[in-house]
Amino acid sequence: MSSAIESGEPTFLDRFPQEAKVVRSALWSSFIALTLGALFGIIQTLHRTDVLRVFSSGNYYTILTAHGVLMVVSFTIFFLVGIYTWAVVRSLDRPVEDIRYTWTWYGLMVLGTLMALVAILGGFIDSIDISADVLFTFYAPLQAHPLFYGGLAIFLIGTWLAGADWFRSWYAWKQENPGERIPLQTFMVLITMLMWYIASIGITIAVVIFLLPWSLGIIDQVNPLLTRTLFWFWGHPVVYFWLMPAYLLWYTVLPKVSGGRLFSDPLARVVFVLFLLLSTPVGIHHQYLDPGIADGFKFIALTNTMFLLLPSLLTAFTVVASMEHGARQRGGTGLLGWLRALPWANPAFTGMALAGLMFAAGGFSGMINAGLNINYLVHNTLWVPGHFHLTVGTAVALTFMAATYWLWPQLTNKPIFSRPIALAQVILWFVGMALMSNAMHVAGLIGIPRRTAEPQYDGFDFIPTFGSIAELDLQLVVGGTLLTLSAILFVSNLVLSISLPKVSGLGQPLPPALSGPDDAPKVLDNLKLWTAIALVLVILAYTLPLASIVDRGGLFGPGGTPYPTMIEFGSTLLEIYTPLTTDWISGWLQ
Amino acid sequence: MSGDAVVTEIDHDEFNPRGTLALILVYFAILVVMWVFMYFVEFLGNDLTVIG
Repeated sequence: MSSAIESGEPTFLDRFPQEAKVVRSALWSSFIALTLGALFGIIQTLHRTDVLRVFSSGNYYTILTAHGVLMVVSFTIFFLVGIYTWAVVRSLDRPVEDIRYTWTWYGLMVLGTLMALVAILGGFIDSIDISADVLFTFYAPLQAHPLFYGGLAIFLIGTWLAGADWFRSWYAWKQENPGERIPLQTFMVLITMLMWYIASIGITIAVVIFLLPWSLGIIDQVNPLLTRTLFWFWGHPVVYFWLMPAYLLWYTVLPKVSGGRLFSDPLARVVFVLFLLLSTPVGIHHQYLDPGIADGFKFIALTNTMFLLLPSLLTAFTVVASMEHGARQRGGTGLLGWLRALPWANPAFTGMALAGLMFAAGGFSGMINAGLNINYLVHNTLWVPGHFHLTVGTAVALTFMAATYWLWPQLTNKPIFSRPIALAQVILWFVGMALMSNAMHVAGLIGIPRRTAEPQYDGFDFIPTFGSIAELDLQLVVGGTLLTLSAILFVSNLVLSISLPKVSGLGQPLPPALSGPDDAPKVLDNLKLWTAIALVLVILAYTLPLASIVDRGGLFGPGGTPYPTMIEFGSTLLEIYTPLTTDWISGWLQ
Repeated sequence: MSGDAVVTEIDHDEFNPRGTLALILVYFAILVVMWVFMYFVEFLGNDLTVIG
């Protein structure tokens, strides 16, 4: 096995042993979250379909929260910080500036996760007064224990510091390489983090000013629509925080494993710039059915969302063209015959290619969600989880797992324990998700709700256009079981790899793009310009809706809504926080 | 891991991604068919749900 993958090149571990250790730790954290998340996933699949109910339905939100938070916050973001550290160090070809700082942000992320997890799992124990049954979408009126919000805040600070680490590396590199184009992988990392910093404004305000003080009992009530809107200010760009590392892997690693080179570096940069501009001013498209937000504002979100399809369609072209380049270099011919020349026996390739294929299907259901009128048909139904299990649940998750098969040997100097099991694992994920997601979409179309422990009702039956509810449930259960099995195979394969002896020469250098950075207009690397435009778009999309929500519903909920809004905003803040600050200072002085 | 079985180097000027174009046209065709299908199933197939 190892002879087939040896290229004689030094690995990332050989060149940057300290950084490799951080990357491995981040990936292990990610995979532990995946394992736990999968466990809670299969429990709720069996519960919803009434196949096996190991917990009471009263615990369903605890289970659903654990599944959601572990999968889409812990699994994805720990993977992101691992892969981005690898990408920055590799593409700048320099170690991090201070490894203690790097361990600090990683430690903060672990601490934050553990705090939030304790709060969530506390929901299972009635005798202690800790719970966080608020789902991943943790806006009011559902309220969590302060430990949950505190943990979340610490986790977020960890990610911000991680971004600062990568900016610091880039800045140091720039001093030594004046006038050079930012290497593509570092460019992608920096753009992602700029988007993340802008997106974090919404969730920071929601947690620090409203949810945490509310949970601590400092304020009595919040304006639920305001916390929802601030959540989605962050909650949509977080979708791209999951996707952009997958895009980084599709643009820079997938061409290599296909046997070719990236088709166009400039196009990849354009795509990431578009994500920076358009990811945030679209959050209101999650709130099409919220009363209290005028249709005009929703229409702006709709328009921005449709523009956001553009970078994904550009990606479809560039990534598939890069795969075709690989296939033709491997001897593939014909209009579509080249598809046979792709390395389908390689789990890293097959996993990423199948993830991309699923993303194309996810793109279609996403277009339905984004439509202002057709969204009414599927809103709050099982269609929506069906959609995001194609996007984050497959396009992202399967890409991460497949890329791990390529990267892991370079982080450990050990081959993967079994490539045939790895290949079976990625195919199982694809098949399992095809079944489960299909059933969810169909169930959503006939109105079966999401976030419901027992969607079986007395005296009422959902009527499918074809087939039966029992068939849909069967697809869900079989699909969910295959996915769980796939997750177990993935983690077991990595655990078993630990026992293998170290070998040398597992390094896999990445080839340059066919059309390189010199073909890209220099303005693409002007990070300040794109950040400024992104901020302007956010201000345009959010100022009026937020002012209107505060004006109508009050900053801290019903009551007292004098005009003008901004004076109300400032005076209410002062009213609440001035006595608190005074008390705190006088207490501290004594 | 694989990706090394290159039999011929193809540079930028020699490469013309015709196959990619074909696949993308297939994807667009699927999208169009599904939109049309949706119109028939979800709108024409249902009675009005909001009346007067």
